[in-house]
Amino acid sequence: MTSTVTIQDRQSKVTRWLLIPGIVWMSLFLVVPIAMIVYVSFWTQTTFNISSDPTLASWKQFFTSDTYTGSLWTTIRIWLIVLATTFIVGYPTALFVGLFVKSKTLSTVLLVICVIPFWTSFLIRVLAWRPMLGKEGAINIVLMKLGIIQQPIEVLLFTELSVIIGMTQIYCVFMVGPIAFMLSRIDRNIIEAARDLGAGFGRIFWKIIFPLSLPGVVVGAIFVSVMVLGEFATSGALSGRKVNLLGNIIVTQVGSLKWAMASVVGVVLTVVMGIVIAGFLRIVDLKREL
Amino acid sequence: MESRIIKPALGVYVALFVLFLYGPFVVLTIISFQQGPDGGPQFPIIEWSTYWYRQIFGLTPPSRVAPLPFGEALIRSLVLALMTMVVSTVLGVMSAQAFRRNFKGSAVVFYLIVLGMMVPGVLTGLGTSLLANNIIGIERHWYTTAFATHVAYTFPFAFLVMLAILNRFDSSVEEAAWSLGVDPWTTFRKVTFPLIFPGVLSAMLFAFTLSLDEFPRTLFASGRDQTLPLAIYGTFSVEIHPNIFAFGVLTTLFSFALLSVYGILMAMSVRRAKKMAMQEDIA
Repeated sequence: MTSTVTIQDRQSKVTRWLLIPGIVWMSLFLVVPIAMIVYVSFWTQTTFNISSDPTLASWKQFFTSDTYTGSLWTTIRIWLIVLATTFIVGYPTALFVGLFVKSKTLSTVLLVICVIPFWTSFLIRVLAWRPMLGKEGAINIVLMKLGIIQQPIEVLLFTELSVIIGMTQIYCVFMVGPIAFMLSRIDRNIIEAARDLGAGFGRIFWKIIFPLSLPGVVVGAIFVSVMVLGEFATSGALSGRKVNLLGNIIVTQVGSLKWAMASVVGVVLTVVMGIVIAGFLRIVDLKREL
Repeated sequence: MESRIIKPALGVYVALFVLFLYGPFVVLTIISFQQGPDGGPQFPIIEWSTYWYRQIFGLTPPSRVAPLPFGEALIRSLVLALMTMVVSTVLGVMSAQAFRRNFKGSAVVFYLIVLGMMVPGVLTGLGTSLLANNIIGIERHWYTTAFATHVAYTFPFAFLVMLAILNRFDSSVEEAAWSLGVDPWTTFRKVTFPLIFPGVLSAMLFAFTLSLDEFPRTLFASGRDQTLPLAIYGTFSVEIHPNIFAFGVLTTLFSFALLSVYGILMAMSVRRAKKMAMQEDIA
């Protein structure tokens, strides 16, 4: 009796020591930094300096300035649009890879094809859209050669549209992966049974396939949201500074040593993020699904 | 009947999807062969040449276009990625090992770790540099503050990979070792670790590649000396030349090489496991 107790004691001691380094690291370099952002957002900012005297000045400035509140709405708008486009682009692909492809090899090959672009540096992938979308870019050249357009389309580059196109391409794979995974786990017998009972594809899709793939959609949406909401490089490189996301504001503010303002924007971004993720987790209970 | 229409339609859709995914890379590769040093990063190709590739390796005479200042940045990034890889994999294996037993507060610890991949990099970078700059008052470096944020980002990935591996792990082999009186550390080293090694490799690969390409966290947290993504970002503001695209092609080839090494190591460890299993059968 006593010996089992000591073994359990020793094991829980081992568990504790295995966990402590990870917990300490994440607390020091993740939780404390985020708390710091909240704290500094109430500091007093002078032109080149910052002091810890508490003030609401930066917060007031954020909510009274059209630039800052505007960037909040831009961020939310771009996030919603990219969420929609990655879903529209990604879902049919996932449907094909996860459900329609019968051979395991082919679906693996297709997934690997989706992952290969990630071996190019993220920033260079963003930059590659410039010769693609520009006035003399690849898309305009191809469309003119095909005779579809006479004049080059100029709205393709350095607009909100180019940011959306770029982000869609960069992040759509994060939609494809989780959805394809959930689709591949669907028991084919259910679909067969529904078909035997006379259900058409539309009915099978809406009643069986889509609901069962929903956890994958949610995971993909969380991935895309986390990345798009914190973005600034794509908008910086492809919009010609016309699209200012919250991330862009943070970068400019830090660049001019306005730490307090950067922190306010950081807190706003954290709150938006928290609401979005909590909302998604409400739709689907991930712990139960996985 | 319907699947005869829907499946080909989806197939065409997937082909378009792949085109969309690869279009920029194809264009990037084409333009990397633009004539140099006068050719710009756009169409049309004036003349095909390998000028920009030669420039990266310092084989061209000095010209109007300065070579990319990437040499030291590349070394820093590789060292940082290696450091990050080692620390996150160790942390990941340790934490996942702890999660094999139920303990109080396991949900809290789980979310604390997973939070690292949920928080946007721009926020962790900002917070860490605030902490270093305004509270502790230390200088920021790629091997201190940026390293800390990189691990806080890649450790969750390593942890989840290891958790998935250890969830499927048959612990009866460990129990057999314990019952023979082998101490837990030796058991881990001789029994557990070789069995989970493929998972460890995946965790390492994850951590290395994520850290190598990590940009938002590094932007604020790395201080004066740039890592590779920062150096690339630096070329954004100035004029862009096709050399950046040539560099992109080269780094992609490097990634292919890295992944091949991973594939070979993986195949070797699988083969060794099979061989060992066979020997046991014979015995």
